[in-house]
Amino acid sequence: MNDEARSNCPAGTGGEPEATRSAVPMWIVVVALLLLFLGGVYFDHHSGWFNARVYSPYVSAEELELYQPKSGAAAAAAQGKKVYETVCGICHNPDGMGKPNQAPPLAGSEWVTTAGFHRLAQIPLLGLSGNIQVAGKDWNLNMAPMGAALSDADLAAVLTYIRTSWGNKAGAVTADDVKAIRAVVGGHPAISAAQLNSIPE
Amino acid sequence: MKNGFSVFLAAFIALGLSWCGFVLGPAKQLGAEKQAAVLNSSDVYPIQRTGDAALGLQVYRANGCAACHTEQVRQDGVVCDVVLMKPGKNPAVVSNLVSTLKLTGLTKDEADAASDQITAAGGSVETHIIPVGTDIARGWGLRQSVAADFLYDTPVQLGSLRAGPDLANVGARLPDFNWQLVHLYAPSAVAKNSAMPPFRYLFELRKIGDTPSPDAVQFPEGFAPPAGCEVVPTPEAKQLAAYLLSLKADAPLYEAPFTPVTTKP
Repeated sequence: MNDEARSNCPAGTGGEPEATRSAVPMWIVVVALLLLFLGGVYFDHHSGWFNARVYSPYVSAEELELYQPKSGAAAAAAQGKKVYETVCGICHNPDGMGKPNQAPPLAGSEWVTTAGFHRLAQIPLLGLSGNIQVAGKDWNLNMAPMGAALSDADLAAVLTYIRTSWGNKAGAVTADDVKAIRAVVGGHPAISAAQLNSIPE
Repeated sequence: MKNGFSVFLAAFIALGLSWCGFVLGPAKQLGAEKQAAVLNSSDVYPIQRTGDAALGLQVYRANGCAACHTEQVRQDGVVCDVVLMKPGKNPAVVSNLVSTLKLTGLTKDEADAASDQITAAGGSVETHIIPVGTDIARGWGLRQSVAADFLYDTPVQLGSLRAGPDLANVGARLPDFNWQLVHLYAPSAVAKNSAMPPFRYLFELRKIGDTPSPDAVQFPEGFAPPAGCEVVPTPEAKQLAAYLLSLKADAPLYEAPFTPVTTKP
């Protein structure tokens, strides 16, 4: 480079490039916002909102809830077993064989395996007093209305459970059946075997 | 230093954000994980390991089992099968529906539609939830692994390489204690062409004394030790086998629902 050319250089620039300011191009802003939006949509659909219980292939807590086995005989039987073991099993024994001087057996009991369930359903709803013959043996004990506080669905599940467990083979009871029976019996005092026999099965 | 405070602040924010993402976030998400109810059952899951099985986790760790085995089953999806339980009062209509409708390999919506149709005709149905995936097709597990499976594992032996099969559910797949011991002593005796190295130092090959040891490993034909000798597992081998038998990720959970296949006796 000759002297003439050098003298043309403006004073004060030492050859170092210097950054200048300029506006961000609008298209970058648009693309960034679009990517942010798409990212948000993807997050919305696939994050499960960081719920600890949501694992792929489920994408949200609502979807996972849909896949819970809520209905069906298996779910009802499991619910019936649970209620039986917490409420009834204490006296009637978890295996349904009853306990001497506490409660008669339910397994093989003619009161449990009747064709209809109308007599059976009265017992947990109202309680039972006085003599009752179960599987060829006399029992004279008082039972409190243990099922009165249970929901219709729970009582139906537990009645179905005792009617279909331990070799018992009787029909299922639905929550609607229990609701209807509960509405009819109202606040009747503890029922006796003779009164039960006067009700149609 | 020029801009020292800014550099410090930038580094602090960068490290602080990653700490929030990698430590605080997961702790908030899974830190409260605890024993939970098994679906449709009064059982709880998982059960804390006791005795030999608890010690076996450390033997598993010490022998580097996690270098070749994972303990995590993956699931690609889930399908629903609609199963007819009772034909109800219109058996002809219901059986016609059952034979014409597609009842297996459905999505949840399709399964609900099919079960509504059959229920409307008087039949009673159940929807079975069936996890699907390559790991599950291999029989390695019944469902995907979830955080609850590892609740009592310290440290968690997830593994990242599968030179051998996944072990998340091995206790349910291969529940025989003696099988596990034979496999540890001589993998090829029970799994032909196994690439697993034999763990013979966990056993003692010795002359039978006055009475044979009750713990001696029972080998299949052709793999037994020489006459007059027996293979006795060390406590470590027994702990490891007990740990392997305790690996049972077979409970349906809220976060991993499925319908257990009940085999009729």
